[in-house]
Amino acid sequence: MDGASYQRFPKVKIRELKDDYAKFELRETDASMANALRRVMIAEVPTIAIDLVEIEVNSSVLNDEFIAHRLGLIPLTSERAMSMRFSRDCDACDGDGQCEFCSVEFHLRAKCINDQTLDVTSKDLYSSDHTVVPVDFSDATSGFENPEDQRGITIVKLRKGQELRLRAIARKGIGKDHAKWSPAATVTFMYEPEIHINEEMMETLSLEEKTSVVESSPTKVFALNPHTQQVEVVDPEAYTYDDEVLKKVEAMGKPGLIEIYAKEDSFIFTVESTGAIKASQLVINAIDVLKQKLDAVRLLEDTVEADDQFGELGAHMRGG
Amino acid sequence: MNAPDRYERFVVPEGTKKVSYERDTKIINAASFTIEREDHTIGNIVRMQLHRDGNVLFAGYKLPHPLQYKIIVRVHTTSQSSPMQAYNLAINDLDKELDHLKAVFEAEVARVSGEY
Repeated sequence: MDGASYQRFPKVKIRELKDDYAKFELRETDASMANALRRVMIAEVPTIAIDLVEIEVNSSVLNDEFIAHRLGLIPLTSERAMSMRFSRDCDACDGDGQCEFCSVEFHLRAKCINDQTLDVTSKDLYSSDHTVVPVDFSDATSGFENPEDQRGITIVKLRKGQELRLRAIARKGIGKDHAKWSPAATVTFMYEPEIHINEEMMETLSLEEKTSVVESSPTKVFALNPHTQQVEVVDPEAYTYDDEVLKKVEAMGKPGLIEIYAKEDSFIFTVESTGAIKASQLVINAIDVLKQKLDAVRLLEDTVEADDQFGELGAHMRGG
Repeated sequence: MNAPDRYERFVVPEGTKKVSYERDTKIINAASFTIEREDHTIGNIVRMQLHRDGNVLFAGYKLPHPLQYKIIVRVHTTSQSSPMQAYNLAINDLDKELDHLKAVFEAEVARVSGEY
């Protein structure tokens, strides 16, 4: 009706981007948006994880449900997850939620035949869909130096004669349902600090006092420049919002020497993914999921029409 | 023993509407929206956006109980607008903000990846 819009226009600047790690700055938006993104990244971005396990043979030292639990926690590459359907919503399968559209089948067959302990790992899980496989954690560069890292996640260890044979179904889910479906290892954001040093008051300090101020901070935020003998800010983002420096400065009898504010609309995000989804893709999926949630929460057409009783026209019609 | 199933946190049962509202009988231009199976993620973001609207006199949300998975958003407006209008405007503005954020983020990722 009216053209008013109270939209904000956030800005993003990426500092570091790797496959499973992203660090970026988010500016000109609200803490509620930053927190919503964080919550969605942890709990509501869908992934694929093993959800149903049928065990044929298990003579290992771990019992069936123990192994099934461990299988569920193995991260699977989930690029397909956003386009897949939830098993409960799938109409293609005959009700058991195991069709090719809504699930991926895995099988594992391991038997220890020699005297050496057999390590059954995530690399022994064979998928029916080559795009959904257990995440490979081996670093491409250290391929030949460290063969231990290439073996995948250990599921169980078998002795001679012990066998494990099972069939597993992986489904789409979200972290809110069970943490195995959470694609995020950790997602954090911090307010960007703004540090002001009052240079005039700093002049009145002796060298020992300056050193004590610099050392009062548990993290290396300040440093004493050896050439100019001035206290400088060396890494503002190392500040963890403990007020140690401020308390020290007050104890010295010089309040106002250093002032630290948190910028209310500037956030530094750190996103670490489990490997199921790339870190940058995780953020993009989180934005999409948040949009879907907002869409679901809109008022429907029929409720909007009951609007006439409000507003000036309504008041006029009622004789007011 | 009495804990609800985990899927109750986000699956709306048959017959329940996702969003419903009740006008306040005593105060004009005031309404409470009940949103089923949502939590602080949506509640806080909608509330903060409603605060930015000049026509909104009061906006707040609460979870009546942590084991009941719904939120109640209460909005009072001036006579220039109505709670439903303000609510829809807030959702539309948030949608546009997220579109903008996605475009900016994707452009930034392309720029950073293109540098390698």
